Amino acid sequence: MLQMIGKRSILMLGMLLGLLVITFSISHIAPGDPAALAAGPDATQEMIDQVREEYGFDKPLVEQFVIYVGGIFEGDLGRSVYTTRPVAQDLMVYFPATLELVIYSILFAIILGVPMGVISAVKQNGWVDNLVRFVSSSGVGLPMFWLGLMLQLYFGLQLGWFPLGGRLDLMTDPPTTITGMYTIDALLTLKFNVFFEALHHMVLPAIALSFPALASIVRVNRAEMIETLSLDYMTNARAQGISKFRMIAAYALKNAMLPTLAIIGLRFGWMLGGTVLIESVFDWPGVGLYALQAVTASDFEPVMAVTLILGAWFMLTNFLIDIIYGILDPRVRGRA
Amino acid sequence: MKDMSRRSFGRLVKACAVAGLAVASLGATMEPATAFERVDGGKVLVIAGRQPVSTLDPSVKYNASIRTLQQALYDALVKYDGNPPQVKPWLAESWEQSEDGKTWIFKLVEGAKFHSGNPVNAEAIKYSFTRTLELNKGPSWMLSDFLKPEGIVVVDDHTVQFNLEKPYAAFLSFLPWWYIMDPAVVGAHVEGDDYGQKWLTENEAGSGPYKLKRFDQGTLYEVERVKDYWKGDGGSNIEGIVYKLIRETSAQRAALMRGEADIVLDLSPDEFDQVAKAKGIKTSTEPALTAFGLKFNTKGKYMSDKNLRKAVAHAFDYDALVAIFNGKAVLQTSPFTDDIKGKIDVPGIPRHDVEKAKEYLAKSQWPEGGIELEYVYVQGLEVERLMGLVLIDNLKPLNITLKMVPLTWPNLVARGSKPETAADLMAIFATPVSVDPDAVAYQYHPDSWGKYYGTHFYDNPKVTELIEKARYTTDWEERAPMYAEIQKLIVEDQPEIFGMMRKRLVAYRDYVTGFSYTPVRMTSEVDYYGLGIGK
Repeated sequence: MLQMIGKRSILMLGMLLGLLVITFSISHIAPGDPAALAAGPDATQEMIDQVREEYGFDKPLVEQFVIYVGGIFEGDLGRSVYTTRPVAQDLMVYFPATLELVIYSILFAIILGVPMGVISAVKQNGWVDNLVRFVSSSGVGLPMFWLGLMLQLYFGLQLGWFPLGGRLDLMTDPPTTITGMYTIDALLTLKFNVFFEALHHMVLPAIALSFPALASIVRVNRAEMIETLSLDYMTNARAQGISKFRMIAAYALKNAMLPTLAIIGLRFGWMLGGTVLIESVFDWPGVGLYALQAVTASDFEPVMAVTLILGAWFMLTNFLIDIIYGILDPRVRGRA
Repeated sequence: MKDMSRRSFGRLVKACAVAGLAVASLGATMEPATAFERVDGGKVLVIAGRQPVSTLDPSVKYNASIRTLQQALYDALVKYDGNPPQVKPWLAESWEQSEDGKTWIFKLVEGAKFHSGNPVNAEAIKYSFTRTLELNKGPSWMLSDFLKPEGIVVVDDHTVQFNLEKPYAAFLSFLPWWYIMDPAVVGAHVEGDDYGQKWLTENEAGSGPYKLKRFDQGTLYEVERVKDYWKGDGGSNIEGIVYKLIRETSAQRAALMRGEADIVLDLSPDEFDQVAKAKGIKTSTEPALTAFGLKFNTKGKYMSDKNLRKAVAHAFDYDALVAIFNGKAVLQTSPFTDDIKGKIDVPGIPRHDVEKAKEYLAKSQWPEGGIELEYVYVQGLEVERLMGLVLIDNLKPLNITLKMVPLTWPNLVARGSKPETAADLMAIFATPVSVDPDAVAYQYHPDSWGKYYGTHFYDNPKVTELIEKARYTTDWEERAPMYAEIQKLIVEDQPEIFGMMRKRLVAYRDYVTGFSYTPVRMTSEVDYYGLGIGK
């Protein structure tokens, strides 16, 4: 087990470095000139050169790369030309907002998706199964962006049940920053009204973001459950008079959960990328919006930092899933 | 405050119950539209915009959202007001210009003070101009060729003198964008040699009608009205204004309908027409200096041929252009937009005329057509995409095909920076920063080549000479005919398809009072001074 973790960690570091080289090359081959954009449309050549020097864009590419990688080890992710602030400082503000949204989304997808998968497998062609079919095909087919807009227009504007966007009401002060995740910070500082308000703002974006994940969790779980339930040992269990609930929950679900877990992990990784769209619909000030703003300003360093974080995030969730797999299934442990 | 949280809690509970999340409904009643926000009985106006404010520092950067905030927090010597825009006294109550146009003397008003309580004096003026010139960022380019820090002289506490290196007719027209900072406050926050830049990014040191209350980057920016503002309240009755970021225009529309925003700035023409019909909402279309044109690359393989340029310009369906904006646009009758001083209606500016287009094509190097032109526009800008589609249709009779290439703004700017990479046609919106004709004329000077509004690489030595001569001439009677000549020559050379002036579309709740507009402001830029709530 330890050997596996060690091997995988080294592999991950190598992949991250590869990712860094690729993003650095792509962003520097792209034709946009961040210095010219930062200096403004009417700037003189002298003003542009001054900005270029200030940010070190005048140095040779290799030197820039070495400085950049060196900085990363010191926790320095560069400086944004657009916000003029260090990228790490910007991310401290934006990342927790995204993380919070993603966590609620995946929780929503799991809590709703797993039982739905189980019920639709047990009662095939029942109304839950039909609903599941509807949800899973629309989850795969509907663009998340469009779904977000529709939720916003119907539940936000038409019915007025939920806020249109943002993390809190306009005049509410955010809770003292501890984790940067408003619901958690509000609980920690005992501001329950802020907690509920933050939760209220979370509902629509979290549902929109969770939809594709929900769809695949339900599908995989349903398929696995049907397969497991038809196996001989289930027939045996039924013959021995074990209660139906126990049969499903304890025996069948445990085995069906393995592939479901893999999907959850994968989706958790993908979700972080999906937030770009949801965040702009709901004005959720997270890394997605930050990256989008950086891309439209040819602002290299924030783009690289966000890509790096997304990549690391994706690798890390897969890594964790492998470990959990190993714990759940002894056969996996040997094959690192 | 407490009341609002309870309301929000009620809404959450109700929503949860309906969503089947097993929370019992407490029977909270649905609230009607919230309208403007209230804080401790006072009213706070909410404005929705899509562009974040990356910095507040007046010496570092300006764009529509940044300048909205700068104009609220800071004052300048003079201010643009009215339609047509005029330069009005502000911190300066009067000024005079020497015969040779090189010396300007400004008399400051008595009683103006910064938010810190310090007086706005000649020393502060000198400090602020020096800071902007030395940092050489943001608005610095407007004056850097004409004014050096040594040329700014404090005559007495309320008199400041500018000695220009050479006469510059447009000098005064740029001063509204040079905001005055409190030297003591900036000085207290200098780190190393940064001239206070780090601190001024998210803080202010101004004397404007509002002071900064919250700078919540990526979410909102809130300002609080200065009750004893030295120039009076301008009819305002509110506590403050929140500039809230709502990035999707459809979400802005929803926020306005629900009363979560009182003024929205970025609606599309269709959305604008929808909200105009709604109860409780007022709309206005405001004229603007912004020009939309299709720049030809006059140094390119095809568009260096003047007859081809003329052919395309006559094939273009100008009415379709106005239709794309649901009629909320006016066609340009000169390279200069309306409200630019000295603008004339140039006779013979091309209009849709297929026969004429064919005549010009016959005189070009490609009399039979058979070529493909490249049209580059900003990705995601629907109106520019529609424009391309119209153009494809328009060019068919000339046997010319059009390749549409959408690019992100940085990539578009990069392509337009050199004649070798610039596209045959590029869709460009450009807003001059001043109403002086020099600001527009200079876009056709070789110094502008490669800038986003200079992707035409237009080169006519006679025009260049006239532009230079006119900018150093101080007597308007002498300048006016020069600019008339410049406009005629540019139209004759056809370095672009002169398009239209799109109107600004502003929608607001009907209780908003004191909304004023001057065409020199950029799209989505608002002047907070005098805004109020009428109920």
